[in-house]
Amino acid sequence: MGRYILKRLISIIPVLFGVSILVFFLVRLIPGSALELFLGTQVEATPEQMEELKRIFGEDKPIPILYFEWLSRIIKGDFGYSLRTSRPILPDILHRLPLSLELTLFSLFFSIIIGIPLGILSSLKQNPIIDILIRLIGLLGLSLPQFWLATLFVILFSSFEGLIPMGNFIPFSKNPLLNIKMLFLPSLAIGLGLGAVVMRFTRNSILEVLQMDYIKTAKAKGLSQRVVLFKHALRNALLPVVTILGFNAGYLLGGAIVIEEVFALPGMGRLALYAIFQRDYPLLQGIVLIISFLFVLINLSTDILYAFIDPRIRYE
Amino acid sequence: MKRFFAISFIILFFIFSLSSGQIKKGGTLTIGVDQEVVGLDPNIVTAFSSFRRIDLLYNKLVKYDENLNIVPDLAISWKIPDNLTYIFYLRKGIKFHNGRELTAEDVKYTLERILDPKTGSPGRSYIEPISSIEIVDKYTVKIKLSTPLASLLSGLASNNCAIVPKEEIEKYGNLQRNVVGTGPFKLAEWVPDNYMRLVRNPDYFEKGLPYLDEVIFRVIPEQTSLLAGLKSGALDMATINDGSVILQAKKDSNLVVMQKPGINVRTYGFNTTRKPFDDIRVRQAIALAIDRDEIVSTAEFGMALPSGPIPASVKRWAKSVKLLPLSRPNIKKAKELLAQAGYPDGFSFKIVCSPTYEGGISVAQVIQNQLKKIGLKPELEVLEWGIYIDRWRKRDFDSMVELRGGDPDPDRFLYRILHSKGAVNNFLFKDEEVDKLLEEGRKLTKYEERKPIYDKLQALISEKAPVIFLYVPYETQILRPYVKGFKQVGNGALYYLTNTWIEK
Repeated sequence: MGRYILKRLISIIPVLFGVSILVFFLVRLIPGSALELFLGTQVEATPEQMEELKRIFGEDKPIPILYFEWLSRIIKGDFGYSLRTSRPILPDILHRLPLSLELTLFSLFFSIIIGIPLGILSSLKQNPIIDILIRLIGLLGLSLPQFWLATLFVILFSSFEGLIPMGNFIPFSKNPLLNIKMLFLPSLAIGLGLGAVVMRFTRNSILEVLQMDYIKTAKAKGLSQRVVLFKHALRNALLPVVTILGFNAGYLLGGAIVIEEVFALPGMGRLALYAIFQRDYPLLQGIVLIISFLFVLINLSTDILYAFIDPRIRYE
Repeated sequence: MKRFFAISFIILFFIFSLSSGQIKKGGTLTIGVDQEVVGLDPNIVTAFSSFRRIDLLYNKLVKYDENLNIVPDLAISWKIPDNLTYIFYLRKGIKFHNGRELTAEDVKYTLERILDPKTGSPGRSYIEPISSIEIVDKYTVKIKLSTPLASLLSGLASNNCAIVPKEEIEKYGNLQRNVVGTGPFKLAEWVPDNYMRLVRNPDYFEKGLPYLDEVIFRVIPEQTSLLAGLKSGALDMATINDGSVILQAKKDSNLVVMQKPGINVRTYGFNTTRKPFDDIRVRQAIALAIDRDEIVSTAEFGMALPSGPIPASVKRWAKSVKLLPLSRPNIKKAKELLAQAGYPDGFSFKIVCSPTYEGGISVAQVIQNQLKKIGLKPELEVLEWGIYIDRWRKRDFDSMVELRGGDPDPDRFLYRILHSKGAVNNFLFKDEEVDKLLEEGRKLTKYEERKPIYDKLQALISEKAPVIFLYVPYETQILRPYVKGFKQVGNGALYYLTNTWIEK
């Protein structure tokens, strides 16, 4: 297992290298540039001023050369400065990471406590009315857009003190209770949608597993339904659910952009969004690199988690 | 005697009732805005959001008051002996936030910094004709110009020309992240994309001001969330641009909606070198098809003022749009002009716009419908903001809806967008008569001499129609009723927060 993890960790390096090439050249394919956006439509600049600005905005050299300059700095751990705010990039990203991590964890938590029990309940098909009701909830959760739900929450709960951050987000390290209170609604808004996905996967997966021969054997042995379900079926049925959750965790880390916008949360998603709007290449490259790194890490942890859920899986 | 008592009682009562509604010192004002700043160096930034913080942190030589008149800021008075010489007399005892006194040296240093191309300051073009800056004494600066520039004062009133201390620039390289100004507030804390806390500057040069102890800016990108913040009391004030959200706020009796026509101008312009927009008759036909009132009521929820080439809010200069040529819709005449130009059946073309407020997509939709009425077949080309700017810079468009940053001075506004050598004349418009009038207007510094020139220009530009000036949107601030003393300037500036207090 240890060797396996080490191997996987080393494989991150070529992945990140590939990502660095992709992000560097792809972002420059979008028309427009940071300099143009800086100047906007109001500002005049003389030719000599333009030359100077081009140098400041890193548009004075061919892109491949800029890439190698950037890469050699990144290897040394220097992410450079944002074109938009001229702040150093790494501290800004690291400053936002805890919020995105929290939001991801809480959303996963909600999606699990909503999705898995409902999924199990609905897979039992004990009561057609409950089943229809649960499926309806699932359908609603899937089809209600996040931005709508989030806006609704803001309008409904803005008069409750501390539930909506309102540009006054308090980090966990400062006041954990208030921090969790503020993240409750945003995570719920994400968790409801994700919960519906988890529910459907759980339901389908359990139904599939319940058809298996070993379940029939277990039933034939005279085991109670509860033991069959929780001990024999659920464990196997959860593998696809874990995969889905792992993927979503990666996406959420990269930013629940809409949720962050509506609730005014200073997370990674908003940082990335504005970096794209402003064509803030160095910042965007930094964000993508770090998110890719985390994404690969999460995939690795998902794989390791498989082994715990299903002891037959062994990595050597 | 009785009467005397009665009168003095009434007078006393008056005094008391006035003072009970009097200014209250102290307290914190929390203001919600939808955009984070893009750096704070006044000489370098271009973003509107940055200017709104610089309003409270720095000062210029002169500034605009709420009636858009130039009034003293750092300079207590000034003289213009001839149209090439400006002498500014500074206030004494002004202190930077680092405790050092501001003197003529700093004015000279700052203006030279702005003029230096290496700084990359957008303010350079506002004051470019400056040829020398002379320190007469510690509190007097004499500025010489190489060519006359009527809008110099207006340029100096720009936040880009705020005065900065030399030693701090030398220490930090620039002031994008560090604030050392002379303004009524000092930067205390800044958590990007979350909030910025400013605290009272006890050494501020206007004695007794500001009233507030603290101003907190909170960045809330969603307009609905801003309104929710106001309603819940998390915010005391917010700058809101979305018309539908403003309408909701107006229905709430616990909120005060302050509105004033701003100085930005919504325009619909043409690339005058592209066929068929190089034909003046085509442009005139389009101008005649456009109904400003309908655009204002549909696209802006009625919250804008129809305008001609000079922002209608600048009453000293602007002629009423109704009195300008081609400003009243006339479908029949428009069709005739199109037929004369050789397009009796109209033609297809594109209107470039963007979903941001500046990009005016809803305005483009109304214009599209209006132009269909004269047989034209316009199509909307909706672009992401970065691409929109790219096309604007490359002048790659048939026609384009824009929001132009206006200015209270007609020279600064019109010269750069309509002179054939104007830096942001992206209509590529070239007209000798217009050029000549713009150059004349730039040379004169007296209002009475300049006025007839700009009257003539407004009519001429409307007639040649390289761009159709549509309206000036209202600037909207929404306040809780206990926020007192705030005034809108019209260019979005927040410096009247210096005179604002909280009555609670």
